[in-house]
Amino acid sequence: MLELNVQTLAFFVFALFVLGGGLGVITTRNLVHGTLYLILSLFGVAGFFVLLSAPFLAVVQVLVYIGAIAILIVFAVMLTRSMTSLHEVVNRQWVLSTIVAVLLFVMLTVTIILPVWGQDGSLAGQPVSEVVATTTDLGKALVDGNQYVLPFEVASLLLTAAMIGAIVIARDDE
Amino acid sequence: MFQVPTIADLNLGLTLPALSLALGACVLLLLDLFVPRERKEITAWLAMAGIAVSFVLNLAGFNESGTAFLGTFAADQFTGFLNIVILITAFLGVLLSLDYLKRAKIERGEYYVLLLLSAAGMMFMSSANDLIVVFIALELLSIPLYIMATFRAPDLKSEESGMKYFILGAFAGAFFVYGAALVYGATGTTNLPEIFAAVNGIIAAGGSQMFLLLMGTGLILVGLGFKVAVVPFHMWTPDVYEGAPTPVTAFMSVGAKAGGFAGLLRIMVVALPVFVLKDGQTAAAWQQTFWLVAAATLILGNIVAIAQTNVKRMLAYSSIAHAGYIMMAVAAAGTAGVANEATRAALLYLMAYMFTNLGAFGIALAIEKDDGSDTGVDNFIGLAKSKPALAAMMTVFMLSLTGIPLTGGFVGKWFVFKSALDAGLVPLAIIGVLTSVISAFYYVRIIVNMYLKDGEGDPAAGATRYVNWAIYVAFAGTLLMGIFPWIATNLSDTVVLAVEMFVR
Repeated sequence: MLELNVQTLAFFVFALFVLGGGLGVITTRNLVHGTLYLILSLFGVAGFFVLLSAPFLAVVQVLVYIGAIAILIVFAVMLTRSMTSLHEVVNRQWVLSTIVAVLLFVMLTVTIILPVWGQDGSLAGQPVSEVVATTTDLGKALVDGNQYVLPFEVASLLLTAAMIGAIVIARDDE
Repeated sequence: MFQVPTIADLNLGLTLPALSLALGACVLLLLDLFVPRERKEITAWLAMAGIAVSFVLNLAGFNESGTAFLGTFAADQFTGFLNIVILITAFLGVLLSLDYLKRAKIERGEYYVLLLLSAAGMMFMSSANDLIVVFIALELLSIPLYIMATFRAPDLKSEESGMKYFILGAFAGAFFVYGAALVYGATGTTNLPEIFAAVNGIIAAGGSQMFLLLMGTGLILVGLGFKVAVVPFHMWTPDVYEGAPTPVTAFMSVGAKAGGFAGLLRIMVVALPVFVLKDGQTAAAWQQTFWLVAAATLILGNIVAIAQTNVKRMLAYSSIAHAGYIMMAVAAAGTAGVANEATRAALLYLMAYMFTNLGAFGIALAIEKDDGSDTGVDNFIGLAKSKPALAAMMTVFMLSLTGIPLTGGFVGKWFVFKSALDAGLVPLAIIGVLTSVISAFYYVRIIVNMYLKDGEGDPAAGATRYVNWAIYVAFAGTLLMGIFPWIATNLSDTVVLAVEMFVR
């Protein structure tokens, strides 16, 4: 079944980072601690990318998410200091939403586990990825017949819209 | 091996309507810099010119079909028809906004740019042929709407509206991506026709990949169901519709639904029509779920609407109910052989709903005060005396929303019910008819308020020239579609989305 080698070991360590960090984010009361947990979690995801032979994505993950976004969050937390200790707000629907959330979690877990470890295990033996995705591959995928031209262009429009929005909302009128 | 794609490979001609609108939005963003602050109506006129160009290009290419951008973009009559709906919505949206933004003192050129970008997102959605494109188009459709909903900031209701819409919308987007990832995991492709080709193999294998596909389909329904506001993903609708500036509400109540249903129909009818749990079934596996969602939406939307005292909230629940009727057509599309008929019914319903709903919101906007107040159902009391023309048109809109003959709403309902019956969904059709009767209760209450109750009558100060124009267009559209339904049905007759040849 599972071979115990360096990769498997690394996978479990990274998985621990991702899940532990994620749990930390939602359980801590302190926003700064939450940010640190988030960085841990994002670092684990970067590790996954390395295991999936996508080194470029791993580097981008570290640069963009840990380098830029996490730092941005830290700044935001510093500038809005009054929010660092929040009271819990629970509304009347919490029982129902807990049930729905747990059900969804169980269903998703089953869905993901079954194809790998289920009776027919059709996906278990397959290699994770056959190619090492380099920057060149990625660049080509965005313009080549690998069909990502249109999403790439539409994403640029999307970012324009988001940028306009940020300015419109943040700018004080005169 | 890698080949530099040529322009001819991209097949740009087919994408012209959507691309020209996106390009128009970018150009408008630059031109707006040169428009002086007190003359922002120039930006609005330029936006309308951009919409008109796209409209003409869309009509010119209406009968062409094919794929562009190496298979990720599909242009056909489905796209053409929906683009007509989307572009008219955008055009009337701009007309309604012109004076309103001035009155509310929130006039900014960026508003029209955002509106165009959102409309472009809807158009990409109507021609998406790949799950990734559906997702990106969905976001391009939504993000400008979040911003437009909060355009009245620092008004608290508007901020609440934008914030709620943003957070729940982002949440729904995550569901959609999760679903798309699972479908990709099951089929190994994101291209819709290729998914279609892969589905039969998965059913034959019958393995646990079925599970992936089933769960993926469900999550996609959650993601898009949020956008089109069907029960149980409708919670945000009343608050968002009430808080957003009224022209934005009008635009998003039609546009977001057109975009969302475009994506839903494309995915379900193009990619997953033959997805059954057991060999030999004639109805797709997702039909049952869609059936339930449609029924719940019809019942809840129509009943809760009765209790509303604010006309914007009432129209919000009414829009939820109407999403239920369109959902009924989508559910009908799950039966083999009925898919194309049901798709056409959904399109016709969307067109009728577009004219009627824009008109109704136009009149709500006309009686609204500058600070956004006075949109109660009671504010319609006596309108027949103070503004007989507006009251008469509102009557037609309300009758059309109910589905009375000689209005567009009747034509839409007729085709939707017919497709549901042809698909064998008799109980659903019965629920549809019964809830239509219930809906008459709250629609007619507005008519009673206008004609039979004594009151001063609202001066309808918001009924300025351009608002009136928009209402006239909506009125003409509602009646034309009701009296000469063949205009719209002829347009939709050529819509063929499903591959009907398949043999199970």
